[in-house]
Amino acid sequence: MTDEKTSEALQTQVQEDYTSVKIPKDKKKIVLDVIWYIVGAILSLIFVLPILYMLAVSTKSQLAADQATGIGLFLPDFANLGTFFENYRKVFTDYGIWRNALNSLIYAAIAIVLNILVNGLAGYVLSKFNFPGKKLFTFLVLFLITVPVETSIVPMYTIVTQVLKLNGKLAVVGVILPSVINIFNIFLFMQFFESIPKDYEEAARIDGATDLGIFFKIILPLSKPIVATVAVFCFIGVWNDYLWPMMLLTGNEELMPIQAVLQTIQNIDGVTTGEIMASLVVTSLPIFIIYVVAQKYIVQGFGSAGLKL
Amino acid sequence: MVNAILIILGVFVAVFAVLVIIDLIKAKKNNVRYHFKHCVSSYLMLAPAVTLAFVFVVLPIIFSLGYAFTDYRMSRPNNIQFVGFENFADLFKEISNKGELYHAIINTLIFVVCVVPLQIGLALFLALFTNRKKPGVKIFKVCFFSPVVISLTVTSYLWLQILAPNESGLLNSLLATFGVGPIDFLADKNTAMLWIVLMSAWQGCGYQMLIFSSGLTGIRDDLYEAASLDGANWWGKFIHVTLPGLKPTILYVLVTVFIGACRVMIQPMLMTGYQLHTVTLSYYMYQLGFTSQFIGLSSAVALIMTIVIGTITFIQRKVLK
Repeated sequence: MTDEKTSEALQTQVQEDYTSVKIPKDKKKIVLDVIWYIVGAILSLIFVLPILYMLAVSTKSQLAADQATGIGLFLPDFANLGTFFENYRKVFTDYGIWRNALNSLIYAAIAIVLNILVNGLAGYVLSKFNFPGKKLFTFLVLFLITVPVETSIVPMYTIVTQVLKLNGKLAVVGVILPSVINIFNIFLFMQFFESIPKDYEEAARIDGATDLGIFFKIILPLSKPIVATVAVFCFIGVWNDYLWPMMLLTGNEELMPIQAVLQTIQNIDGVTTGEIMASLVVTSLPIFIIYVVAQKYIVQGFGSAGLKL
Repeated sequence: MVNAILIILGVFVAVFAVLVIIDLIKAKKNNVRYHFKHCVSSYLMLAPAVTLAFVFVVLPIIFSLGYAFTDYRMSRPNNIQFVGFENFADLFKEISNKGELYHAIINTLIFVVCVVPLQIGLALFLALFTNRKKPGVKIFKVCFFSPVVISLTVTSYLWLQILAPNESGLLNSLLATFGVGPIDFLADKNTAMLWIVLMSAWQGCGYQMLIFSSGLTGIRDDLYEAASLDGANWWGKFIHVTLPGLKPTILYVLVTVFIGACRVMIQPMLMTGYQLHTVTLSYYMYQLGFTSQFIGLSSAVALIMTIVIGTITFIQRKVLK
């Protein structure tokens, strides 16, 4: 009897314990979630506020920008929405930034096409053909991936200007060519092409296709993802390049890509903060679009980046 | 200089010829036959890549090595003298006299020591933070990644405005509401480099966050479950499951961020110009070689940098493997 009682008491005790433990656990979870959202929001603000500031100022006159306080710093000037795009208009027409944006686009387009052709062909040869001396090239590819190249920007400058004599307007060739060759892309193409079964080429060869024909008609169409990844990263690289075009094109402002002309805009007499911000937004816009449109290929690029080591 | 290129080209062709002959002898021994037509088209298709890589990758590296032992100046390219280790002696003199190079080394050290742990730690934290299946997590990720989209040049100019010394600068106008300032952040010897560190980490860590995120998805869920069964708390799981699972990713991120940090130059170049309190090694090298045209000396700096960076990366790989 007493035993039963005690066991019953124990059971209710356990049940009470269970519930009394369970409720705080749920509460604890909700509290943790709320903290998580608050921390996330604060962190997000830290990362986004400078960009919002850039966007907001780019739509304001100097007066409105100087007078803004508090939250208004990060919002457009609602009293003068008529002049919302005034800074952009000025940057495009008076400062002619469209010309430099167009230059950047053209350089990037040429670089992308040549990059895929040159490195793609090299990757094709090294993955699909056997010829005497192949080992040297494969070794060079694997060796050169690990060499830091940026430290040689000054010798590269002497080669372009003094050996190849690419001065004046011809310097544009020197701006584009170094971004055409990318050893890591050769390696990427090699890896990818190796996974394409030999049957495809053999079938085409029986139909009388040449080696070059197979590359364009079979290999490239089958490698769309890697071609897209290479193209996206090549675009970002050329569009964001600043120092190298700056070194070669000083004095030829009409040929400068957009990143290099930002400096010129900063130094214009009487330029407003809003105009500077507008030029920065224009410069960032294409990369933003690329990140939105080509997200898939950028994530793929991250995956392949791991191969580097 | 053209002679030097011909010699390098000659060595390259000689090595290639020897390897071709070895391959041909081996082929004869093993009764392997090369198709002549395929060989010719292979060489032709390789030619553009080999030419460009020779001119823009191999030659600059070899030239950089060679220039380091000469008194080459851009203004007199036809009179280059071999000077042995004189350039290196000059550089060490500059360091012991606490000249520009001394400051460049100190500033680069400050930048690397601060930015590498900060950026990687922040990126790892953000990746773990967003590694939950909650509504809104994607918005957080986009926010953290957004500074990556603006280039280093744009970032530098944007922060130049934010840190502007008068009240039109964002930070100073915020400080003014508390009655502080205005402060010239980038002219201050003690804080300028730290602002560049903060800005760089802010701009870059979203990129590494995504790399860590894709590394985290590669860790199998049952490992976490097993750890839970063994009674591990979140710290135990982090130490015993997450970190070992992320090891290759961490190694990759560490090496790339480290190398990138050692090369820092655009930020101080655009934000402060050539100043003793912000000049970095790359910037010093560029100034010496491009603006002052002492290519020999500049290449000596490049050579030392390459050796130091290469050695440290090698050690990182060995230790973490």
